[in-house]
Amino acid sequence: MGDAGLSEAEKTFILHSVQDDFREDGRGNEDFRHMELETSLISNTNGSARVRLANTDVLVGVKVQLTPVDPERPEVGRLEFFIDCSANATPAFEGRGGEELGSEISAMLTRAYAFPGAVDFHSLCVLPGQQCWLLYVDVLLLECGGNLFDAVSIAVKAALFNLKIPNVTMTKDEGGVELDLSDDPFDFKRLDVSGAPIIITVNKIGHYHVVDASEKEEECSLARLMLGVTEKGTITAMRKEGSGSLDPNSISDMMEVNTRFLCLPGI
Amino acid sequence: MPLDTRRLTGPESSQSPYNFAPVNKLDLTQLDKRPDGRSIKKLRPLFLRTNVVSQARGSSYIEMNETKVICAVYGPREVLRREDFSLKGQLTCDFKFTTFSCRQRRQYQQDSQEKDLSVLVLEALEPAVCLHKYPKSQINIFITVLQHDGSALSAAITCASVALASAGIEMYDLVVASSAAICGSVTLIDPTAQEEDALLKATVKPDNNAGSVTVAFLPSLSQVSAISSDGELSFEILNKSMQECVANCQKLYPVLEHTLVKHQQELEAGRS
Amino acid sequence: MAAPMPVCIPGRKLCKESDTHLPGTGTYTRNGFIYSSLVGTIRETTDESNVKTISVIGKENNSIIPYIDAIVVARVTNVNPRFCKCEILSVGKHHLQDAFRGMIRKEDVRALDRDRIEMHKCFRPGDIIIARVMSLGDAQSYLLTTAENELGVVSALSESGK
Repeated sequence: MGDAGLSEAEKTFILHSVQDDFREDGRGNEDFRHMELETSLISNTNGSARVRLANTDVLVGVKVQLTPVDPERPEVGRLEFFIDCSANATPAFEGRGGEELGSEISAMLTRAYAFPGAVDFHSLCVLPGQQCWLLYVDVLLLECGGNLFDAVSIAVKAALFNLKIPNVTMTKDEGGVELDLSDDPFDFKRLDVSGAPIIITVNKIGHYHVVDASEKEEECSLARLMLGVTEKGTITAMRKEGSGSLDPNSISDMMEVNTRFLCLPGI
Repeated sequence: MPLDTRRLTGPESSQSPYNFAPVNKLDLTQLDKRPDGRSIKKLRPLFLRTNVVSQARGSSYIEMNETKVICAVYGPREVLRREDFSLKGQLTCDFKFTTFSCRQRRQYQQDSQEKDLSVLVLEALEPAVCLHKYPKSQINIFITVLQHDGSALSAAITCASVALASAGIEMYDLVVASSAAICGSVTLIDPTAQEEDALLKATVKPDNNAGSVTVAFLPSLSQVSAISSDGELSFEILNKSMQECVANCQKLYPVLEHTLVKHQQELEAGRS
Repeated sequence: MAAPMPVCIPGRKLCKESDTHLPGTGTYTRNGFIYSSLVGTIRETTDESNVKTISVIGKENNSIIPYIDAIVVARVTNVNPRFCKCEILSVGKHHLQDAFRGMIRKEDVRALDRDRIEMHKCFRPGDIIIARVMSLGDAQSYLLTTAENELGVVSALSESGK
């Protein structure tokens, strides 16, 4: 991340703008950019959403599928994340270029959603011990303008909110249980996403903490802290990224900045 | 490793017998009595030694009771792929659980968890290595977990930093890592696999804290080089357990120091 | 055996940096102090003007890589009319565990009469040469030169292989 190719002078300019709490685009250090959120865009998916954060554009589609349960956890359904870094976003993603970033984002999402309260995993189980729903959450990066992790997580939560899972009727016959999927497009259930986390990234630029960094600002920051936070104020995943190291106290400060954005998860 | 078709492979779908065995449940209400008899604040004893792989430039082995990790460092050597070229030195890391290291058998191929752990180890070590001293070259770190009984990530980070130092790679500081598992208001230091597992599968009430945190620390610069957490935790508890992990890293530092001093003395003795 | 030398590890604070104490190899400075960056023994060298240089000596055959102005020993692998390629086998007195790729361009072979150089008359694959590193070169190889009296081919086989 952060490949804008800035000169030293440009970096100093950004450093100073952060110092004065007045960034390039007129924001303060703790302001988000204008966000556009749309849902139900793609008819072939069970749920979809698109988030646009200034130059960052992310599209998410969720498709559901019935599958045998995981023998280790037979009572719950599963979520699977896949990030497609399309070469449309930046030529650097061509071929296998985006693979690393993609797996990083999906690892972070998987971790943030890996606690029991994220979504109602039990309601995703159709027949305990046998069949459950597997939700394929596919993310497409259309444009990269900084702060990808946050934008992706918001889009994922919105798409899960938008998700329509068809109702299943079960009939018992001599061979076992037969599952019948409802054809009626209005016969569906929703998923409760009130516990689902979103990711907030705090960048350390100089001695200051900045949220929703643009691509240029990301290049100036040596270390950032990413947190998965829920509406309740709990932290579901934490990760430091970047080549720099941090003072333990500054981590606490950054976490505090993070939790100040808890009003955001209530989409 | 590519799939060997001549190898006798098991049936396509098979299950571990452990899935049918009664679960060895940890009593989450009585966490102050840990199965191995430790108190909740106590670390496991740490055994460390260097020079375990004779061909590598530097290597080390770490043992925390049943968690055993071996690490080898090669390089600095030339970057072969043209696309990977950079004027700054590069660090690569390959983290692998052996197939027999866990309760469930693991695959040969690196799975997504192992890839994730590789990235975390790299992030923990990068701030500590003077990469600008190695232009155009790369340093390869290979980590193999021989036996996994909890806190494998922190063991791997500590082990890799000792291996790098013993390889004579210039570093700003050593890296020590430590982890903790959190259940409710109790923080278990240096959890075993059984404790980690119990927390992962525990059906805790919402609003309850359950999760784990790993911190990598640069002791003499007193900076945190990596931090990662799992599970649902409140801000206060996470902050508190992070501080505890930092304190534990400082406790482990003398062990690393002693190992490396001994390493150097052996080297001198061999020379004279 | 002499008394054991004090051993230090990376991150150990050694002393304050000042006009009389300078950082040497195996050390770095931060906030006005000299720190060790290697596992090794501390060495203090004093020059005539009483300036001490603090350095840390790690294991021999330290993790060395070719650097600018280093004298290297290399083996020629490939010769063409414009340049020849070689693999760098050792840097200074230190043998390299893994060879690095190097390249000598036609105009860097000798200092005089550069226009009349014919590469295949200067080098043949298999020759052992001594050269100086000119620059870190490109993504592929280091740039070497043999345009000095002491530099050039030091060991080679005749055309018949004897």
